[in-house]
Amino acid sequence: MKNLIAGATFAALALGATGAMAEETCGDITMAEFNWASGELMANIDKFILEEGFGCNVELIVGGTAPIFASMNEKGTPDIAGEQWVNGVRTLVDEALAEGRLVAVNRGPIEGLGEGWWVPAYTLEQNPELKTVLDVIERPDLFPSSEDPSVGAFVGCPAGWGCQQVNISLFDAFDMEEKGWVLVDPGSAAGLDGSIAKANERGENWFGYYWSPTALIGKYNMVQVPFGVPYAGDEVWNTCITQEGCENPPKTSWIRSEVFTIVTDKFAAEGGPINDYLAARVFPGPVMGAMLVYMSDEQAEGSDAAIEFLTRYEDVWTNWVSPEVAAKVKAAL
Amino acid sequence: MWDWYEFPSIGRTDLRDLKKAGDEAFKAFSRAYGESLENFFQPLLSFLVWFEKLLINSPWPVVMAVIALLVWAGSRSWQLVLATLASLALIGYLGMWENTMYTLALVSVATLVCIVIGIPFGILMSKSDRMQAIVTPVLDFMQTVPAFVYLIPIILLLGLGKIPGLIAVCVYAIPPIVRLTNLGIRLVDKDVLEAADAFGASPRQKLWTVQMPLALPNIFAGVNQTIMMALAMVVVAALIGVRGLGMEVLKAVNNQYITLGFMNGLAIMAIAIVFDRTSQKFGKRLQKHSEIIHG
Repeated sequence: MKNLIAGATFAALALGATGAMAEETCGDITMAEFNWASGELMANIDKFILEEGFGCNVELIVGGTAPIFASMNEKGTPDIAGEQWVNGVRTLVDEALAEGRLVAVNRGPIEGLGEGWWVPAYTLEQNPELKTVLDVIERPDLFPSSEDPSVGAFVGCPAGWGCQQVNISLFDAFDMEEKGWVLVDPGSAAGLDGSIAKANERGENWFGYYWSPTALIGKYNMVQVPFGVPYAGDEVWNTCITQEGCENPPKTSWIRSEVFTIVTDKFAAEGGPINDYLAARVFPGPVMGAMLVYMSDEQAEGSDAAIEFLTRYEDVWTNWVSPEVAAKVKAAL
Repeated sequence: MWDWYEFPSIGRTDLRDLKKAGDEAFKAFSRAYGESLENFFQPLLSFLVWFEKLLINSPWPVVMAVIALLVWAGSRSWQLVLATLASLALIGYLGMWENTMYTLALVSVATLVCIVIGIPFGILMSKSDRMQAIVTPVLDFMQTVPAFVYLIPIILLLGLGKIPGLIAVCVYAIPPIVRLTNLGIRLVDKDVLEAADAFGASPRQKLWTVQMPLALPNIFAGVNQTIMMALAMVVVAALIGVRGLGMEVLKAVNNQYITLGFMNGLAIMAIAIVFDRTSQKFGKRLQKHSEIIHG
């Protein structure tokens, strides 16, 4: 009931706002195009919808998390950052949001994203009793290490990455060594990707660290296994799990990765219906995964992929905009 | 109209299909034969794991004593033995003992594999000009193609870890031993061979009692080069999950840990110098030995 009311109110708001805006042009907008596949895709979809549906003139600015954020925070450009990963610049983001310099119009533009421990979907189908990490770690026999088949291989994070220490701590926290596991360091992103690809090509079980949204997760239909324990809190995470030499780390799930769609305060005030669009624009995890697979398989650029998305997933994006805007976008395709 | 500025390429779609077809073909090959290949390498893997465990689980004074003994046997030089012991002690003191043992195990086994495969190939090459014409470009390819290019297919075939690491190391490190075995045998004096023929030596006798002994200094130069190149590949092998000093170097590179990088880099260098001096001195002693006979 609550959802229904919220939904109805939202729909009414969105409709009203777009109706008023429909005749005007929205002017020039600068938008961040993050330099990874999902960021590129999201920026190009936004650009297409804003240009064709709302009549804006969008300029994309390519960059990474830190530089784009710094530029928005200090200079007020670009106006919009679609897929701003928050964990890496957490304190700065909190500060900017608290001071009102930036506004998070959407606190979850992609569903089901984040870091964690993954297995192939077929492993879960064949072993339906594996519901959480707590179940998986009881079965090292399902994931035999090539060097010593008597122990299970858990593939951690490549040497020197921030997540390497987190995996070492969690490996310790879940008593995996006593349970008969060995922590395998894949050495590089290529090594990690390659080991997932190899396991999937052969139908072998695989258990290890990865993150989403990524083409690999979509391509090989990898499933994130819930940890089965609650998150132990930022305090524990920052002072123990991420630190070398933390004694007896507690069991915890991975810190929630947060991705916001952020706009500048000026845009939040003047952007009108575009802010409503940005708030409604949520990509379901599997859809984003499938698009990333498409991009990597076809080696498609963001602009081509955006058109592919708009043609293929009409039922997804038409919910984000009013029927009038949707009609204009469809006409432009 | 003919375009002189844009090279006539096969076009984006065809190129993509070509790449996809190549990838699919390799993946099909991996699905079909990957497991049998893995089983084929299983004995080598077991040996490598056993050797690694032996180095790590033995008391460190024993390991140091054995290494010192081997260095002495090879070089007969007290200075080198002392320098070896000193660098091993420093490596242990700085907490790199275990990683050094991993690296030592990999490099030793890789060198052994390269010698066992490389010397017969070198002999075959020296016997037949056609064989030489076939093998030489293959060796050129192995030495020049960037390692990253074959790391990915190796992972798809064999997964992460020691065996793919060993293969990557050997692909790069085997050419010198093949080349120098071939060269050494070909450089044996024609007069000596004539003399051997005159005494009625069979081809087998000629090879093992005349050509190989005379080629030994060159073959040893090859072994020395193979060891050096194997050590140079340690960091690259770490990229596909080979534990050891290389992994620490990667960690340092990814985090701007300057000191950690240098410590592990210098440990690799120390092992390299010990291997190099020992095998060089051994090679020189062999040469001296043969010179005395001729003299």
